[in-house]
Amino acid sequence: MATVTAPTVRTPLPGFLKHRVLAKLTLLALAAAVLVPVVNARWASGSWPDALTVDLSEPLGRASDWIIDNRDSHPLFLYFFGHVSNAVVLSVRAVYLVLLAAGWAGVTAVAALVAWRAAGLRLALGTAVAFLACGLLGMWVPTMQTLALMVVAVLASAVLGAALGLAAGLSDRTYRALRPVLDTMQVLPAFAYLLPVVLVFGIGVPAAVLATVVYAAPPMARLTALGLRGADHGVLEAAASLGATARQRLVTARLPLARKELLLGLNQTIMMALSMAVIASVIGAGGLGDRVYQALASVDVGAALAAGIPIVLLAVVLDRVTGAAGDRLGGDGPETSARLRALQWAGAAALAVAVAVAVRLAGRLEWPGTWTVNIAEPVNRAVDWMTAHLYSGVPYVGGTADWAGHFTTWVLDPLRSSLQGLPWWSVLLIVATLAWLIGTWRTALTAVLAMAAIGVLGVWEPSLDTLSQVLAAVAVTLVLGLATGVAAARSDRVERLLRPVLDVFQTMPQFVYLIPVVALFGVGRAPAVAAAVVYALPAVVRITAQGLRQVDPAALESARSLGASSGQQLRQVQLPLARPALLLAVNQGVVLVLAVVIIGGLVGGGALGYDVVFGLAQGDLATGLVAGVAIVCLGLVLDRVTQPTERRTAKGA
Amino acid sequence: MGTATATSTGTDTAAGAPVFSVEGLWKVFGPKADRVPADPELTALPPAELRSRTGCTAAVRDVSFDVRKGEVFVVMGLSGSGKSTLVRCLTRLIEPTSGRIAIDGEDVLGMDRARLRELRRHRASMVFQHFGLLPHRSVLDNVAYGLEIQGVGRSERRSRAREVVAKVGLEGMEQRRPGQLSGGQQQRVGLARALAVDPEVLLFDEPFSALDPLIRRDMQEEVVRLHREEGRTMVFITHDLNEALKLGDRIALMRDGQVVQLGTPEEIVGSPADDYVREFVREVPREQVMTVRTAMRAPESAEEAGRGPAVAPDATVSEAIEAVARTGTPARVVDEGRCVGVVDSEALLGVVAGVPAGETPLVPKQPAPLPVRRTRGKAGADEEAV
Repeated sequence: MATVTAPTVRTPLPGFLKHRVLAKLTLLALAAAVLVPVVNARWASGSWPDALTVDLSEPLGRASDWIIDNRDSHPLFLYFFGHVSNAVVLSVRAVYLVLLAAGWAGVTAVAALVAWRAAGLRLALGTAVAFLACGLLGMWVPTMQTLALMVVAVLASAVLGAALGLAAGLSDRTYRALRPVLDTMQVLPAFAYLLPVVLVFGIGVPAAVLATVVYAAPPMARLTALGLRGADHGVLEAAASLGATARQRLVTARLPLARKELLLGLNQTIMMALSMAVIASVIGAGGLGDRVYQALASVDVGAALAAGIPIVLLAVVLDRVTGAAGDRLGGDGPETSARLRALQWAGAAALAVAVAVAVRLAGRLEWPGTWTVNIAEPVNRAVDWMTAHLYSGVPYVGGTADWAGHFTTWVLDPLRSSLQGLPWWSVLLIVATLAWLIGTWRTALTAVLAMAAIGVLGVWEPSLDTLSQVLAAVAVTLVLGLATGVAAARSDRVERLLRPVLDVFQTMPQFVYLIPVVALFGVGRAPAVAAAVVYALPAVVRITAQGLRQVDPAALESARSLGASSGQQLRQVQLPLARPALLLAVNQGVVLVLAVVIIGGLVGGGALGYDVVFGLAQGDLATGLVAGVAIVCLGLVLDRVTQPTERRTAKGA
Repeated sequence: MGTATATSTGTDTAAGAPVFSVEGLWKVFGPKADRVPADPELTALPPAELRSRTGCTAAVRDVSFDVRKGEVFVVMGLSGSGKSTLVRCLTRLIEPTSGRIAIDGEDVLGMDRARLRELRRHRASMVFQHFGLLPHRSVLDNVAYGLEIQGVGRSERRSRAREVVAKVGLEGMEQRRPGQLSGGQQQRVGLARALAVDPEVLLFDEPFSALDPLIRRDMQEEVVRLHREEGRTMVFITHDLNEALKLGDRIALMRDGQVVQLGTPEEIVGSPADDYVREFVREVPREQVMTVRTAMRAPESAEEAGRGPAVAPDATVSEAIEAVARTGTPARVVDEGRCVGVVDSEALLGVVAGVPAGETPLVPKQPAPLPVRRTRGKAGADEEAV
C-alpha cells in the first residue's frame, strides 16, 4: 500500500516545478536558436566584440580634466561643492582637535563612561582596555584621526539615513522608489563608491567622508523605513482614536515603537562607516586605514598588524556597545525616573572631565612615548620565519605559498581562461538562464543588461577575471560554510564554540582580512580569494545554521517518530525546509565575496579592483571610473543571479 | 445581569435623545467604492456577487440605529460581519462611504479635522481588542496618554491617571510596563486609558476576545460595575452571544454587514427575526434572559392576585422559578405595588422549553410589548404546524 501511495503523493510538486523550469528553458533555447547564429555571424569573437564597445575613457578623461580645471572657478564648485568640502574638513578638524585636547585619558574615560551608561560595566571595562591597547600599540594619533572622521561621517549618515527613512516610512510612493535603490546599494562593493566622489572632490578628507556617508547611510534609511512601516497597527489606531494629530502619532507612538530598528540601523551604519573609513584610506582618509594601506603596499605585515588590531578593537567595541544599548532600550525593565538618569549621566560626565583635567594638569596629554609596545618587529620576524619555513617545502603538506600557487595554477587559471574563452553571447545566455530559473524575467533582464554593459564598457576581460576569482571563492566558501553550518546546527557544542568567533569575524572591516592572508600567502590572486573566503564564511555559516535550526520542530518530530535516521532527517526534512535560508546564504556569500575580491586589487588580485587602485594612484580617473561601473554591473549580475524572488521562496517553503 | 435588563426596560419606555444616531451607513472597500451605495442594482446584490462584479466588499450595508443616552448598546456578529468596521466608522477611524452619523445631533461626517480630533479627544474613546498600549511607557503614562495628547500638563494628567488606575483595580502597578502585565491587566490599562479622558461614550471593540474565559468574566463584571456607577453610554462590539446578552441593554445582530435584528436581549432570544437569529440563540439558557413579563397571564381571580410570592415584572424567569418552587404556588407579578399578572409553573416551564404554556395563551391586561405578542403568534404557528 505504502509503495503505491508514496509516489502518487510525491510526484505532483516536482512534476509541476519541472514543468515550469522546462517551459523557461525551452523559451530560452528558442530565443538562443534564433539570436545566436545571427549574432555569431555578425560578431564572431570569443571575447566581447570590439564593434560593440564604447570607449568612454576619452569623454571621461575630458570630464575629469574639466572638473580639475574648474574646481576653483566654476560656480557649482564655488558655491556648493566647495562649501560641502569646507564644512567636512572643518568639522573633522574640529572633532580631531577636541579629541586631542581631551588627551588620551580624557577620551578613554569619556568612551568608557558612555559605554557604562549605555551598555553596562563589563563593556565599559572592555572599551577602556581597547582604547588603552590602541595607545600601547603606538597608534593613538591614527586612531583619533579615524575616530574623528568616523564621528563626522556617522553623524551625517545617521541624519541623512534617518531623513530618507522617515520619508520612505511615511510615504508609500517614496518607499517604492527608494527601496530598490537602497537594496542595490547594499550589495555593491565599497570600492565602487570611491571614484565618483574623487572625481568631484579630489583625493582627500572630504572625498573620504562623503564616500563613507554614501556607503553607510543606506542601512539607516532601510531600517528606519522598516521600523516605521512595521509599527504595531493597533497602537497607531489607538493613538488616532484618542485624537492624536499626525505629528503626535509620529512622535509619541510611531518613532518610539521603531526604536529597536532605529538603533539597529545606527549600529549597522557605524559598522559600515568604520569599514569604509578604513578603505577610504585609498582616497586620502588618513588614520589607521592609511597605516594598513602603506604597510601592505610594502608588504610590511608587522606594521599592518599594529594598525589592524586597533581597527578590530574599535569595531568590536562600537558594535557591542551600540548592540547592548539597543537590547537595553528594547527591554521591559521598570522605568527609572528621568531625573535619576540625568543625574547619573551628569555624574559620569563630571567624572570624565575630572580625569581629563587631572591628566592634563599632570602634563601627560599625549600618549607617553615610553608606553608603546612595538609589535611590528617581532611580527615581521615571525613572518620571516614563516616565509622561510612554511612557505614551501614542508614535507608532505607542501607550504602555504605552494598551496596558493597550486590554487592559482589548478583552479584560478583554468577557470579564468575557460570563462574568457567562452563566446561572449554564451556568457550572456548562461547569466540569463541562471537568473531566470531562480527569479523572474525581470531579474533575468536586469542581469543580462548589466552583463552586456560590462562588455560595452570594454572591460570584458578583467571583469571575467574578477568573476573567476569570485566563483572560485564562492565555491570554497559554500563548501566550507555549509558543512560548518550543518555541524553547528546539529551540535550545540560546535555552535557554542563557533559563536564568539563568528561574532568577532562578522564585525571586522573587510580591509583587515587582507593582513593575515598576505602574511600567509604573499601577494597575488590566491590571497585575495582567501581573504574573500574568510570574510564571507561567518555569514554563510550563521545563516545556514540558523536556517536549519529554525526548521519547524513539528515536521522534524514527525520524521523522528517515523524512525528517520539523523542523516535522513537532515536530507529529507531539514535541508529542504531550510531552502530559503540556504539560498540566502548563497546570495550573501556571493555579495560578500565580491566585495573583498575587489579590494584584493590592493594585494595583487589584479582585474577590476586593480584598475580602480591604478586609476586612483595614477590620477587616471577614466580607467578607474569605468572599472567602478563594471564593479557595479558585476555586483548587480551576481546579486540577481542568486537572488530568489519572494514568490519562489514562498513556494519552496 | 439584573441591572442590565432593568435599564433595558427603563430606556425602552423613556427613550432619551440619542447619543449616536446612524442612518443608512455604508462602508464599501475596493475600487471606486462610492458608486456601490448609490446604485440600487448593486446594493441588491449578495456579497459574493458584488465582489465578483465590482471587486468591492461591502463591510457595512445600509445600517441604521440610535444609541440612547446611558445605555449599553451591543453590536454582535460573527467575524467578517462588519461590526468592527461599523464601530470604527462612528469616529471615522475608518471613513464611511455614505450615510449619516450624528453625535448629539451634530453631523460627524461633516466635521473638519480639528472638530473630529475634538470628538475623539473628549466625546468618544475606544477600547481595543489587542489593547494598543505603548510598550515603552509605564502603565501610568499609558493611561495618561489621552490626556497628554490633549495637552494636559504632566502633573495634572498623572494625578488624574492615578485615580483612574485605582478605579480599574491596578493600584501598585503604575510603574510597570505593559509587557509585564497579564492580558486582563493590559485590558484594564486600555479601559483606564479610555476612561481617563472622561468621554461621553465608550466604544469597545471586542475588548475581551483575547482573554481567558475566567478573566473575561471578571472584565465583563468590571464593565457592568462601571456602567452601574457612572451610567456612561457604551457601544460594545462582540462576537460572543453570552457577552452580548449579559451586557447589552439592546443588541444589534449583524450578518454580512447588515443588521438582521435590533432589540433587547429578551426580544432577540424570545422572538428571533429569522432563521439565522433563531439558530444563533438556540443554545441560550432562555430562563436567564426572558423576564416574567413574557410568561405571565392575567390573574384568574382576585384571590389569586392576592396570594403567593411577589416578583418584579423584569425579574428573570429563573428567579420566578425559584420563588414558585419554594412556595409551591403561582407567583404574583407586582409592578409598583399593583399585581399585573400571575406566573405559574406551567408557564415558566413553557419558557424554558421554548414552547407556549397552557391551553389558552392569555393576553395580559397590560399593553404588552410587541415581542411578546410576536412570540405567541410565532409559537401558535408552530403549534399548528405540529
